Amino acid sequence: MDKNKSFQNIIMKLQSYWMDRGCVLMQPYDTQVGAGTFHPATVLRVLGPDPIWKAAYLQPCRRPTDGRYGENPNRLQHYYQFQVIIQPSPDNIQNLYLESLNAVGLNFKDHDIRFVEDDWESPTLGASGLGWEIWCDGMEISQFTYFQQVGGIEVKPVASEITYGLERLAMFIQKVENVYHLDWDGLDKNKGGKTYGDIFSQQEKEFSIYNFEKTNSSVLIQHFNDAEKECSFLLEDKINPLPLPAYDQCIKASHIFNLLDARGVISVSERQAYILRVRNMSRSCCLAWIDKSNA
Amino acid sequence: MPNINGEKGDLLLELFSEEIPARMQTSSEKQLTSLFEKSLINRDIGYGPITTFSSPRHLSIIITKIDLKQKNQIIEKRGPRLGSNEKAIHGFLKSNNIQENDIVIKDTKNGKFYFYLNQINGIDTSEVLPEIINEIINNFDWPKSQRWAYSELRWARPLRNILLLFNNQLIKGKVAIDKSNFLNFSNYTFGHRHVNKKIEIKSIDEYEKALENNYLILDRKKRKNKIINDTKLLLKEKDIKLLDDDYLLDEVLGLVEFPNVLIGTIDKQFMKLPKEVLITAMKVHQKYFSIIDDKNNLVPKFLFVSNTIPEKERDKSIIEGNERVLKARLSDADFFWKTDTSIKIENLNEKLKNVLFYEGLGSLYEKTVRLSRVSKYFSSLFKVDVSLAREACLLSKFDLVSEMVVEFPELQGIMGGYYTKLNGKPNEVSKAIFEQYKPKGISNDMPKTKLGCMLSMIDNIDNLTGFFMINKKPSGSKDPFALRRAGFSIAQILMKLKLNISINDLFTEALNSYKNSSKIIKLDLVDFIIDKVKFILKKQNFRGDIIESVFTLKGSQNYLLPILYQRVKCLNDIKDTNDFKIFLVNFKRLNNIIKSNKLSNISNVKVNPHLFESSEEEKIYDKSQNLDINLKKYLTDLEHQRIILEEIIKLNCVIHSFFEKIIVNHEDKKIKINRIKLLMELTERILKFSSFHHMEN
Repeated sequence: MDKNKSFQNIIMKLQSYWMDRGCVLMQPYDTQVGAGTFHPATVLRVLGPDPIWKAAYLQPCRRPTDGRYGENPNRLQHYYQFQVIIQPSPDNIQNLYLESLNAVGLNFKDHDIRFVEDDWESPTLGASGLGWEIWCDGMEISQFTYFQQVGGIEVKPVASEITYGLERLAMFIQKVENVYHLDWDGLDKNKGGKTYGDIFSQQEKEFSIYNFEKTNSSVLIQHFNDAEKECSFLLEDKINPLPLPAYDQCIKASHIFNLLDARGVISVSERQAYILRVRNMSRSCCLAWIDKSNA
Repeated sequence: MPNINGEKGDLLLELFSEEIPARMQTSSEKQLTSLFEKSLINRDIGYGPITTFSSPRHLSIIITKIDLKQKNQIIEKRGPRLGSNEKAIHGFLKSNNIQENDIVIKDTKNGKFYFYLNQINGIDTSEVLPEIINEIINNFDWPKSQRWAYSELRWARPLRNILLLFNNQLIKGKVAIDKSNFLNFSNYTFGHRHVNKKIEIKSIDEYEKALENNYLILDRKKRKNKIINDTKLLLKEKDIKLLDDDYLLDEVLGLVEFPNVLIGTIDKQFMKLPKEVLITAMKVHQKYFSIIDDKNNLVPKFLFVSNTIPEKERDKSIIEGNERVLKARLSDADFFWKTDTSIKIENLNEKLKNVLFYEGLGSLYEKTVRLSRVSKYFSSLFKVDVSLAREACLLSKFDLVSEMVVEFPELQGIMGGYYTKLNGKPNEVSKAIFEQYKPKGISNDMPKTKLGCMLSMIDNIDNLTGFFMINKKPSGSKDPFALRRAGFSIAQILMKLKLNISINDLFTEALNSYKNSSKIIKLDLVDFIIDKVKFILKKQNFRGDIIESVFTLKGSQNYLLPILYQRVKCLNDIKDTNDFKIFLVNFKRLNNIIKSNKLSNISNVKVNPHLFESSEEEKIYDKSQNLDINLKKYLTDLEHQRIILEEIIKLNCVIHSFFEKIIVNHEDKKIKINRIKLLMELTERILKFSSFHHMEN
């Protein structure tokens, strides 16, 4: 197998491509998140203080409801996104994106590339934007969004966000039909080479059992309430609030909500209420962050 | 005023942006045209035929024969009143820098004044074009728009280039994106992404061709024809064809600049899934077309339109890529199917207790219980088995919580049909559940079974009743719960099945099931459905005034609908006959006499035959009595509607001779009142059939 096409090499190539285009290369945030967007380097940074902010980073994401006990070739409760956030959005951002595909060995001129309308909205983050899902020969390999709002606040100048679904992209590049068959390192098996399945199938199984069967909902609800309390406590001091630690609590609450959802214990009307509570947390954090930036 | 030199020129404007959503493209062409026309008309600039184009990134307009110059403008300035002193007149001349012979005297409603008619020569169109383009761009109203970078301008997606040629010349000018950034008008554009080069446009005539040479077909119709023709070529000599889907085709047109039609293969293992699942999964996520054989069965192939320049190797790898994606999509669908079919539908039904139908309208489970209550009454109307009807109602909504329908909401009902069948429910029940969401509004795609029709109708009645109760009825362009469509579906089933029910009775049971006894809500619902029924009748080419004359009948909502329908038909059949036309004239005269002789206290007076002075009165009296007897017997008898109408028209004779020979105004008041009463009774009886006075002669 071509080492250039290995999963880890795709990550490396994306990192160096965007690094070369002036992005701050960051590392994953160390808390469970549902998407790369949740990283404070996106959510908070696009609200200031500097109107110029370029960052790129890998982010493992958790979507408890998507777990399939390691048995579905396309769905995972834990997967990787590569996130690029550039503010203000450059005029040539679409071309920058297309060239990044070339950088990972996917010459866009050899493929059917489509920008298909997909407006993005995160109810928990109070965030929304307009953009596309990007198709490559019918497979959605990235999301592209012009951020209009975060935490209910207008993003000015507008930032462009590119999110690569790394497993999808790698499956496309390696022409693999099962995510667990992805070549992680480009090494032969007899030399200790590892596939995605070698590394993650056990994890997918265990976490699917945990997410769907073993979580204790009353404990989770307590955790949620605690996080919410902690969040508002950390923002209580109006002169010296702590938006970053407070935002950690917001992300935690969001993940707990996802776990409760996977457990199937949230009714439709409760669901709305939970979303609203997380949204209020994120909004408070964003407002405190802006206040502090302007101080 | 004619253009001074009458010269004209052609214009090309192209607004080039990042990919505009497919659903907005067609309407943006229309909007561009109307905004441009408005700007030209406001400035008195004449123009000729207009052509527009749209592709994902291009939005263009070509306007031919635009005046090179704006028409001359006359600005009227009023001076002093006629007869004012010299000083005032002089001042007026001086301030306008004109001579005495430049002013004229004009009459106004306030008297005569001196006027200066200042004729200003029209400006060159090329000079006002930048202003016009700015006006158009700033007034453009996208269904959804965005900002980008520092932009203050909003566009559906970032606007990147503005090509502007007038008489094949680049017009200098710019449009502000924000305070310090501008887009200068240019004379170039861009072709297909794979070509990705600047294309200079030297002449408007070459514009379309220049882009086509760079693999960009601007004209939607041409893209459509290419897709249709290429498809025909690909499917030639095989007994298979595309499953037509105009909506999908339109969407695809908005996703490709250069359509390249390709065919892929569906993995055999998925062909055991219900065909609706395959069709939907392919269409919704992938925009693939399904292919069917001559027996309407799905064949294991799919057709898709790629946005590429045809090339053998690339086409092959694009097909392979799409096949892999489809496999992933269908294994998801397969997973949903397996999960759903391994659960007992009773368990899914139980879940409905926790799913809200709508805030204030209870759970979906409660909805099914309401439907089953209402079905008792409707099953006899539809002549279906009451216990089957009940079962169909109770099982009508569980599929909304199945994995498949959560993923593909458009499969609601259809999956319920499959799952009930697999669970061994009676065939009639599965079929009804399968087709319960038909017809969609005034569609002819009706449920095929009576039970399906019934379920569809009472479900829509439940929707209307519920949302009217919580004051969510449609208003203006707002109809978030598609209640108008629900109304049309109900009306469509009512008419097609000729159901023996009055509109008033439609909602009685549903209101009971919601424990609601509001008369106002019921009246609203009744009016709402009457409107839809009238609309459908109009679509069947019945004349509006005929429909009105029947539906404005007092208490028409209490008539069985087939009776009203029959009356509309009878009136329609005779509307052009001479007899009827004469009748209508005479009846209107009769009606006017009654109206102009409105006597308040004669309602209790009875016609007294002893006061008659003529045979005309006697004849009218006899015919009127006869009509009364027949009306009492047959007014609501379907078979007799035509006969009654004929009898009414035959009254013509007696009414006519009455008018010829008798004067209502008799000096003896008793006789006068008796005559009026006689005519009044007759009119009232005639009006029981239809409000003839609403009909046009």
